[in-house]
Amino acid sequence: MSSDKVVIRFSHVKKLYKLFPNDKRRLMSVFFPKRVNYHAKWAVNDVSFEIRQGESVAIFGVNGAGKSTVLKMITGVAFPTEGWIDVDGRVSALLELTAGFDSELTGRENIYLKCQLMGMKDNEISEAEQSIVDFAEIGEYIDQPTRTYSSGMLARLGFAINVNTEPEIFIVDEALSTGDSRFQEKCLLRVQEIIERDNVTLLFVTHNIGTAVKFCRRGLVMKLGKVTFDGPIKEAQRLYEGGDY
Amino acid sequence: MRTFLKIIGQHITWRHQLLKLARADIVKTYSGAALGWAWAVIKPAVTIFVFWFAFDVGLRLNRGGDYNGYPFILWFMAGMMPWFFMQEMFTEGANALRQYNYLVTKMRFPIATIPTFVALSKLLVHIILMGITVLFFLAYGFKPDIYLLQLPLYMVCMWLFFVEWAQFASLLTCMSKDFYNLVGAMVQALFWLSGILYDVHTMHVPEWLHIILLCNPITFVANGYRNIFIYKVWIWQQPMEFLYFIIVLAIMTGLALWAYRKLYREIPDVL
Repeated sequence: MSSDKVVIRFSHVKKLYKLFPNDKRRLMSVFFPKRVNYHAKWAVNDVSFEIRQGESVAIFGVNGAGKSTVLKMITGVAFPTEGWIDVDGRVSALLELTAGFDSELTGRENIYLKCQLMGMKDNEISEAEQSIVDFAEIGEYIDQPTRTYSSGMLARLGFAINVNTEPEIFIVDEALSTGDSRFQEKCLLRVQEIIERDNVTLLFVTHNIGTAVKFCRRGLVMKLGKVTFDGPIKEAQRLYEGGDY
Repeated sequence: MRTFLKIIGQHITWRHQLLKLARADIVKTYSGAALGWAWAVIKPAVTIFVFWFAFDVGLRLNRGGDYNGYPFILWFMAGMMPWFFMQEMFTEGANALRQYNYLVTKMRFPIATIPTFVALSKLLVHIILMGITVLFFLAYGFKPDIYLLQLPLYMVCMWLFFVEWAQFASLLTCMSKDFYNLVGAMVQALFWLSGILYDVHTMHVPEWLHIILLCNPITFVANGYRNIFIYKVWIWQQPMEFLYFIIVLAIMTGLALWAYRKLYREIPDVL
């Protein structure tokens, strides 16, 4: 189902994290950039790849391999230190488990806020509202502040909003690991549905390799900030599970 | 200049969302409490009562001072009301990005607009408080007059300055909590060093110190509000004060742009 249109393009992307021993040094570095030393950590080091519309790609890698940083840069919440990134399409992301809720607002208020920030009109939101509430299975908690939610509830609500707002590029970063297996199943079915129906591009990061293999055709394996393999999912799985990458 | 235009452009593109976020900010501040909106009035009311009691009843400042025929409490309120806005903006403005970190780290959102909607939400509370102030003057038998037309102008001046301040300070707060603590420690000092409890124009100080005091934007705003409510002076009758303010505003804007250009790429990584 993938078309020829490239929706995500990374060319020689590098991302440097400056690690300072403490906050005071970091503040000083704003005023005296040359005088303050820091530890340089290249979280992403010269990564290039292209993803076409409708592809579903899994990214494997141990913690610290740079997966999340790549997803953040695609979402546009982190900026590359070097290199170029082109992203074409509305990105819907569940980064680090939560969709980014205001903890003082209720679930329902967060639905509105989040959809408004995605550029939806009020009448579009009220149409989507009920299906989001139903999908999230939060019950009467929907009118409670999200600070009272458990991590599973936050992930469910975040997922529900993201799949119900017609994403073009859908990014799932470990977001399903907190839900129970039945809810995971439901989400994955829904993801499959939108991939097939709307030609949505999926990027999937998980440690649950079995699920990734079921959903994705292509796998990227990352190690220490570099992409060490890019190809069919089965081969990526074999390499990653064998530790030989 | 390019950065400035870029930020203005972001504000225009996201204008609808900014209004929604400002509304959500207000709802959030006052919805968690049983008395809700009343707190927006109770907090300033308590402060004004305490100062009125200490200075008018206790120290009897009203006997010696000249408040252009107005009672001390009205003179005091006119200068104090904008301070409530300024005080909130000093601390919460400096915390804006940290408070709204989910907009920075979880979705694509122009971070330069965050201080703007925080300031908008505070401004609405301020406008309501000014409405109450006008009623207070009425209760004392002082009707609103043509000088009240200046109020929006001073509000916009104050608002603009504190948007720029929040822009600058919230970026630095992300880099280090030390900066935020520094701001917190300075707020009290700024209150007593600014012309809120006294009139800078009538102080017996050397000319150079006088000019420094008049450069303080807090003093400019407090004086401006008093010119409207008490002294009945038009803004063009004190052109130097306005000029000093514009210069300080330009400097603050420059600092905000400098901090933004330098830091906006790093902010998501450190929050």
